[in-house]
Amino acid sequence: MDQRFLNPAILAGIDGLDLVAKTVVDGFVAGLHRSPDFGFSQEFAEYRAYNPGDDLRHVDWNVYARTDKLFLKRFRGETNSLLTILLDASNSMQFGSHRVNKMDYARYLAASLFYLAIHGQRDAAGLITFDDEIRNFIRPSTRQGQLYRLLAGLEQAEARARTDFAKPMRYFQEFLKRRGMVLIVSDFWESPESIVRAIEPLRYHGNEVVLFHVLDPKDVRPDLKGPAILVDLETNQHLEVTPDYVKKDYRDKIQTHLADLRDRTQAAGMGYCLLMTDRPLDAALREYLTLRGGHN
Amino acid sequence: MGFFAPWFLAGLAGLALPLYLHLLKKQTTTPKAVSSLMLYESRTQSSTRHRRLRYYLLLALRLLVLLLLILAFANPFVNRNAAALASNRLVLLVVDNSFSMRAGTRLTDAKDAAMSVLAGKGAARGQVASFGSQLRLATQPIEDQAALRAAVQAIQPGDGHGNFGELARAIRAMAEAVHTPIELHLFSDMQRGDLAATFSDMALPANVTLVTHAVVTKAQPNWTVEQVNAPGQVWGKDVKPVHVQAVIAGYGTPAAQRTVSLVVKGKTTAVKTVMVPANGRASVEFPALEAPYGFSQCEVKIDSADALPADDLRRFAVERSDPQKALLIHNYGDTRSPLYIGAALSAAAQSAFILESISVNEAADRKPSNYAFIILSDLNSMPSLLDHSLTEYVRAGGSLLIATGTSAGGRSQIPIFGGHIIEARDYNRIPDRYMAVGSSDSSYPSVAKADGWQGVKFFYALDVDPGVGPDAARVIVRLGDQTPLLLEKRMGEGRMVLLTTGLDNLTNDFPQHPNFVPFIEQTARYLAGSERQGGARPVDAFLELRNARERAQGVEVTDPEGKRPLTLGEAAKAQSIQLTEAGYYQIRLANGRQDEVGVNPDPKESNLDVIPADVLALWQGKGSQVQDAANPNKTPGPATPPKTPQTLWWYVMLLVLTSAVAESVIASRYLGTQREEE
Repeated sequence: MDQRFLNPAILAGIDGLDLVAKTVVDGFVAGLHRSPDFGFSQEFAEYRAYNPGDDLRHVDWNVYARTDKLFLKRFRGETNSLLTILLDASNSMQFGSHRVNKMDYARYLAASLFYLAIHGQRDAAGLITFDDEIRNFIRPSTRQGQLYRLLAGLEQAEARARTDFAKPMRYFQEFLKRRGMVLIVSDFWESPESIVRAIEPLRYHGNEVVLFHVLDPKDVRPDLKGPAILVDLETNQHLEVTPDYVKKDYRDKIQTHLADLRDRTQAAGMGYCLLMTDRPLDAALREYLTLRGGHN
Repeated sequence: MGFFAPWFLAGLAGLALPLYLHLLKKQTTTPKAVSSLMLYESRTQSSTRHRRLRYYLLLALRLLVLLLLILAFANPFVNRNAAALASNRLVLLVVDNSFSMRAGTRLTDAKDAAMSVLAGKGAARGQVASFGSQLRLATQPIEDQAALRAAVQAIQPGDGHGNFGELARAIRAMAEAVHTPIELHLFSDMQRGDLAATFSDMALPANVTLVTHAVVTKAQPNWTVEQVNAPGQVWGKDVKPVHVQAVIAGYGTPAAQRTVSLVVKGKTTAVKTVMVPANGRASVEFPALEAPYGFSQCEVKIDSADALPADDLRRFAVERSDPQKALLIHNYGDTRSPLYIGAALSAAAQSAFILESISVNEAADRKPSNYAFIILSDLNSMPSLLDHSLTEYVRAGGSLLIATGTSAGGRSQIPIFGGHIIEARDYNRIPDRYMAVGSSDSSYPSVAKADGWQGVKFFYALDVDPGVGPDAARVIVRLGDQTPLLLEKRMGEGRMVLLTTGLDNLTNDFPQHPNFVPFIEQTARYLAGSERQGGARPVDAFLELRNARERAQGVEVTDPEGKRPLTLGEAAKAQSIQLTEAGYYQIRLANGRQDEVGVNPDPKESNLDVIPADVLALWQGKGSQVQDAANPNKTPGPATPPKTPQTLWWYVMLLVLTSAVAESVIASRYLGTQREEE
């Protein structure tokens, strides 16, 4: 796989989320080499006799010309899944220790997933951005121009306020009436227990729920050259911390936090994928396709 | 407690710098943003306190290093009781054995006084030295009374001229190595003539206490032969009588008649009576010096019957020898050069040289080595045979004077000398129609007595390139337009002097100028190597034993006592010898020539006037007066033991070193922690 097209640092130099998404997905798909694990809707599966009411766009007119009968072309994986991405737009997502901050990375990720879903799988895709409230909702659809609406929604998502899963999750239930896939992209700076408790209800409707945990490398391995005052981006709280603590105790705590979150989400029947902003996007796309394959 | 240099305490203001860097600048830390403080805890107080403590320790050490450095520059001292330091002190006994100490029983008195001081010095260490023209240590600092007494007894009278400035300089150098207090006892006749030019030259270091022991307290009258003017060499049988002139001086004497004798080889040849005015001088002239062939030891003596009979005579040596031959080679038909040079030599050099003038055509059958030096006067042709024989002559140690006139203008090079002729300069064409001397080396013998050739007009000269490198010629005289006029060059063992103008009066008016005679005389003596023969020298003067061409050839010196003062190694290498004793020195020089000189004490030693008591008191009490000046309000009170300032510089510097090491250790540990974090 050509990692170059998936490297966030390179993607940061590309203008426009549509181009970013196209670059990522094309690069990713080119590297899959028709793996048997993943079904693409472009891959021919079978012919089915036309029934009145079927979409005429899917009729194979060559077969009609030869046999004078109407057949529909069926493609593998063409099951019209529903993809909804819940994007955390809280202040903590602004943090970045290098060129791509967490919000940018989340946008690239969401855009790529939308592109893959709509262009590749012909799925209906929707977007909810939230912080401590729901800020934007684009209903899942397969209509023309849906991809551009979604990309515009991503562009408009500005990081602000603080994360509160409990409050907006109550409203998610109302928006997510149809069964589908729900991908939550966030840095999940809350206790694993409260996160799982807030998200778990989404699973009850038969949704496949995956947590994309986006973190900056310095979130996991911060470094300090001397005693310093740290400021919380969401609460603006100040705290004096010493390098000794950061070097030992903090690293232990973050590893415990990550392991706990992963265990609890998996125990609740949800997927979990940790994404570092200095790593390529392919892990997230693979996770989506795996999930998509199982959903068929 | 005080400071020798308190102005350096102004540097304390520099302590503000580490304070600023550590305490003020530290507070300007910029808060650092993080995604969430959820997992951070402020439970690191103990670690921070520990670090802060180390941080303050580092600050304290840095402040301490700076403070101690400033103190070291300010040089603190404490006043310690002199009595407490007595056991550490060094008693330095200096006995004056300069020439004036020969008067009466001065030296014996001085040694007796030294012995009595030695007896009362207690347990302190002692060191004995004699002081003539310079300080000579007779012992190391020791406590052995017997050895010290023996060293005092062994001090012999000398002939040097004392100088208390030189003594103080030697003591200052000594005090730099000896950090304990030095008690300097000076046993001397305290001659006024021994005072240094300025009083500051006699200043002694703070840890030196001077105690003077004057063996005489008032001036004594003394007559002396102050000066004798006599030639060092005479040649041949007397054509002209040789005069000897002497000056008789009286110091603190009444007007008196003195009998003056001229003694040659122990035999009185002439006696004269002279009236010496009170505390004044009179000169005596002996019209003829009848010295036989070879060296003669001569003296001018007076019958003074005063306290210092050793200065009643003045020695000089005279050598009588046959005149040396010199050869002048000139062009056929040139009559001017032989005339001028011959007249100058006979007029000035007291018949020291017999000049033989020949034309270049006759030169072939002459053997150059028979002549003391050879003069080439503006030769228009140089036969190759003559060129070769003269070159060999110079290489073997001969001397050549080459004068170039108009005949050499067409050549590109000076024969034998080898200098490239750049151009011939005819000064008749310039507005003044002549060129005068621009610069000259007045130390050069040919120029020294010729008044720098001032006023001589040169109409024509060759511009000769002196060359570069080790074979380059030395330019002695230049004309006003920087044209070299007189050059010297060494070739092999010999030397050549080049005059870039003629010795006739066509190219210059030099032969008709009064300076021409001394020029020819001094050049002849210089080239013949006879300029340093015979005569008299003062004690402590240096006598040159060899020049460059005579290197690695042995010399032999016999001092007035008949001993050889030079070791074999020194005899092979020494350039000169210091004449430390009065009497006659016999020298066999490296070129095989014999020489003999009469050495006389410095005439200033004959003035037996003494230093006034107030000047002596000032010299001795200088240290305490400086302390009094620092405390003008001091009122007379009960006698307090004398205090001596003891510098604490060494201790402060030790503390600086220790603090600097501690600071380095703490700082490296502090920085080490930071490196781990990175």
